[in-house]
Amino acid sequence: MKKTKLGEFEELVLLTVIALQEDAYGVQIKQELEDRLQETLSVGSIQSALKRMEDKGFLTSTFGETTPRRGGKRKRIYAATPYARRVLEEIKAVRAGLWATILKLDFI
Amino acid sequence: MKQTDPQSPPEWPLRFLRFFMKDEYLEEIEGDLEEIYLDNLDRYAPERARQMYTLEVLKLFRPGLVKNWKVSNQLNHLDMYKNYLKVAWRNLRKFKMYSAIKIGGFAIGIAAAILITLFVLHESSYDQHYANTDRIYRVINNFADPTREADRWPAMQPQLASVLEEEFPEIEKSGRLIPYDWYDAGSNQFRPEERVQNNYEEGFAYMDQSLLEILEIPMVYGERETALANPKTIVISQKMADKYYPDENPVGKSVILNEKEDRAYTIGGVMEDFPSNSHLQYDFLLTLTEEEFWEGEQTSWCCSNYNTYALLRRGTQTEELEPKLLSVRDKYLISHFEENGDVWAEKAKNYLTYDLVPVADTHLKSKEVYDVFPKSDIRIIRLFGAIAVFILLLACINFINLSTAKSANRAKETGLRKVVGSHRSHLIQQFLTESVLFSAISVGLGTLLARVLLPYFNELSGKTLSFPWTDWWFLPVLAGVTLLIGLLAGVYPSFYLSAFKPIDVLKGKLSRGTKAAGIRSTMVVFQFATSMVLIVSAFIVYNQMQFILHKDLGFDKEQVVMLQGTNTLEDKLPAFKDELLRLPGVTSAAASNYFPVSGTKRDQNSFWIEGRKNLDPGVGAQIWRTDEDYLSALDINLIAGRNFSPDIASDTGAIVINQTMADKLGLEDPVGARIENWGKWTVIGVVEDFHFESMKGGIGALGMIMSERGSILATEISAENIEATLAAITGIWDNFMPNQPIRYTFMDETFARMYADVQRTGNVFAACAILAIIIACLGLFGLATFMAEQRSKEVSIRKVLGASMSSLYQLLTADFLKLILISLLIGAPIAWYLMRNWLEDYEYRIDIAWWFFAVPGLIIVGIALFTVSRQALKLAFSSPVDHLRGE
Repeated sequence: MKKTKLGEFEELVLLTVIALQEDAYGVQIKQELEDRLQETLSVGSIQSALKRMEDKGFLTSTFGETTPRRGGKRKRIYAATPYARRVLEEIKAVRAGLWATILKLDFI
Repeated sequence: MKQTDPQSPPEWPLRFLRFFMKDEYLEEIEGDLEEIYLDNLDRYAPERARQMYTLEVLKLFRPGLVKNWKVSNQLNHLDMYKNYLKVAWRNLRKFKMYSAIKIGGFAIGIAAAILITLFVLHESSYDQHYANTDRIYRVINNFADPTREADRWPAMQPQLASVLEEEFPEIEKSGRLIPYDWYDAGSNQFRPEERVQNNYEEGFAYMDQSLLEILEIPMVYGERETALANPKTIVISQKMADKYYPDENPVGKSVILNEKEDRAYTIGGVMEDFPSNSHLQYDFLLTLTEEEFWEGEQTSWCCSNYNTYALLRRGTQTEELEPKLLSVRDKYLISHFEENGDVWAEKAKNYLTYDLVPVADTHLKSKEVYDVFPKSDIRIIRLFGAIAVFILLLACINFINLSTAKSANRAKETGLRKVVGSHRSHLIQQFLTESVLFSAISVGLGTLLARVLLPYFNELSGKTLSFPWTDWWFLPVLAGVTLLIGLLAGVYPSFYLSAFKPIDVLKGKLSRGTKAAGIRSTMVVFQFATSMVLIVSAFIVYNQMQFILHKDLGFDKEQVVMLQGTNTLEDKLPAFKDELLRLPGVTSAAASNYFPVSGTKRDQNSFWIEGRKNLDPGVGAQIWRTDEDYLSALDINLIAGRNFSPDIASDTGAIVINQTMADKLGLEDPVGARIENWGKWTVIGVVEDFHFESMKGGIGALGMIMSERGSILATEISAENIEATLAAITGIWDNFMPNQPIRYTFMDETFARMYADVQRTGNVFAACAILAIIIACLGLFGLATFMAEQRSKEVSIRKVLGASMSSLYQLLTADFLKLILISLLIGAPIAWYLMRNWLEDYEYRIDIAWWFFAVPGLIIVGIALFTVSRQALKLAFSSPVDHLRGE
């Protein structure tokens, strides 16, 4: 693995960003993850994960449109970088390899 | 809070968010939060939605998202601070008088705070030094008869200690102490066996070997485990060992008390001197091993003379143990009462319980326990603590006031710094640096001042405090205090000064320091109100003191010399007395152990009318042994019956009582009545009540029986030729007792010592009051000077136009006078409330009169006016040309 590590929670947020595509902004990410994890998350935890990953080069962001429910404040839409996708692939491969070993052992 | 649109998120959390969130993230996150808030509003009650919003905001406060306040971390801080310090130093030198007032006031305040803090620390450090402090308890009787005030006292029966240790596994060890004048405890004529000359020594107490171990008293010579184990052993303090046995180990040597060579004590060990913060202060510990003061004393449950200490096992809960102790009460004490048909059996069963009180509570938290240890009132200690804080506050206020008042001088600098690129935070840093510099200089000076004043303060407070230079905490605390006070005093001026708008300042628009005038006035009022409270308090304490010292006591304490140690004259006492009376300056002399001043003997008994011992609860009364000259030597008035006479044989069974005793026994015609305690007595006379205890309490019942012996001979002498009379008395004494130096005290001095604590409280109050007024006046002087500068043009123009000197004076002083008067009005009721509470401790007290407020008020107005006038007059008399030439 690379020097830049991806935490477990960060990985989840990152995957959510990719899954949501153009809808990937703060509130939507929070809701999506809450639905999937079946637990309440704070804005603070998600935001700090997002900012951290932006610093590490996993994410880029641009201002999106605004809605009346936001009191005129713009959304920030996140998108994963190719680098992030590569890291995710790597993690997945490592995990798959491990699972394969475990399954083989189980059958012996 | 004002009503807001329910659709908009709560105001304060939002403000907080905007305050801390990084600017680049704010728009996004604020928007997100608002969206979530509106979603929540649809789902939940508004109250809950707001709560959730607040919580989210708080959870956003984390390192990655919070603003980076270090705006300029690229700059070289060190150089900037160097510059700040340089500018501060230049300012300090440029305005010498203001700097002196700032620093001087600060230093005085800090010195006072340091001294008071040392005092408070010492007072609250009592009895913390034992190895097992938290497990050592005193056993205290608690007698809670609902018809009267609860009585608490530590004296126990001789066997209680050993019974406790045997019957309760929770008690690891117990030990006894006799801390008052009793047989050889108290004071004695003392000499090592090999010497002839006696010395009078105080500080004797009886102690069990086990108590020596419980308290783990450190030993210099001898073993702690055996020092008092053998009968007739004594442990002496290092101080005494150095005095009588310099440079040698005295263990095993014999000492003689009061010339009783058949009862010599053997030194079992030398202990270190008790630390000054121990409730025990003795130089000689006599063993209780195999000591029996009279036949059957040790096995009887009749008499309570032993203070009992217990060392509890680790983890013992006193609340659980205390109720169990009652079995001892029932098994031994009450059965003793019942065997003797004593009415106390019933009373003790209903009301008597045993409390375990931590030994560390002895000094400050046992005010209501009737024992002999000197105590302090925790309220007074807290009050002193509060005073220290207030004096510091006063000093800080001076700093703030003068800094903001002189702000105009710094405004240009501030403006220029801003124009050149200083951020506001830099300016705040600058002014805080400056105030920390001032604070550091002041703390340094203040500490020095405190060190210089310490001996005087010790005298004032009756303590032996020293500077804890070597304690690890002292210097760090001092440094911390420097920073804290620097920041505290600097925070307002720095925000105030750094808020100037450069454009206004440089255009010269800034009104010269008038903006903060309201706050400055408030602070002056605070300072003078505090001064008023302290001065009135000191004044009232002083008056109460004078009242006590000069009250008609019912006896005459003037011109009475108390010759001490006359018991050693033994059979020669009457001859000695006769010879004294032959001296022309001596009018009368009376021998007794009992006198109406503290430090002399007391003996509390219960009295009944004859035959009613098992019917009535009994009247608690002192029984004093005096001779027939007692009443005349002390000028005590006999109001009925007659005095003792050695010529009447039956007077050995006679008693003279005071009015209170007659009232309490319900004797309508006391003379001739028969009363009893452990013996039976015929009342032959009644004396007028006289104050024989501290005036904090009322006058108790008292009976006097006849005895020729006494360790004190009270000798009334005439006012002329006191020196010669004393010399003659000394000559006679030396003839009688060549091996024992004469020792005498004046009764009025001994009496005054009874109220030493009141005097000390008064002294400390007075000192604080003086300090407070000095600090307040320093500040006022600074403000007056500033005001004079500020209004110099106005005054000059008025003068040119023909204003009279007196109208100018009025103009310049009226504002200040108003402030002072407001302070007095605020301070007076506070002082009245505090002092009323303090006076309630005294059975005999002064009434608070109007002039207790008027006199200090006048003094304050006078001092303040004097302070302001100098500047006002200087300006009023100055030539207008000087101030107007510049225009």
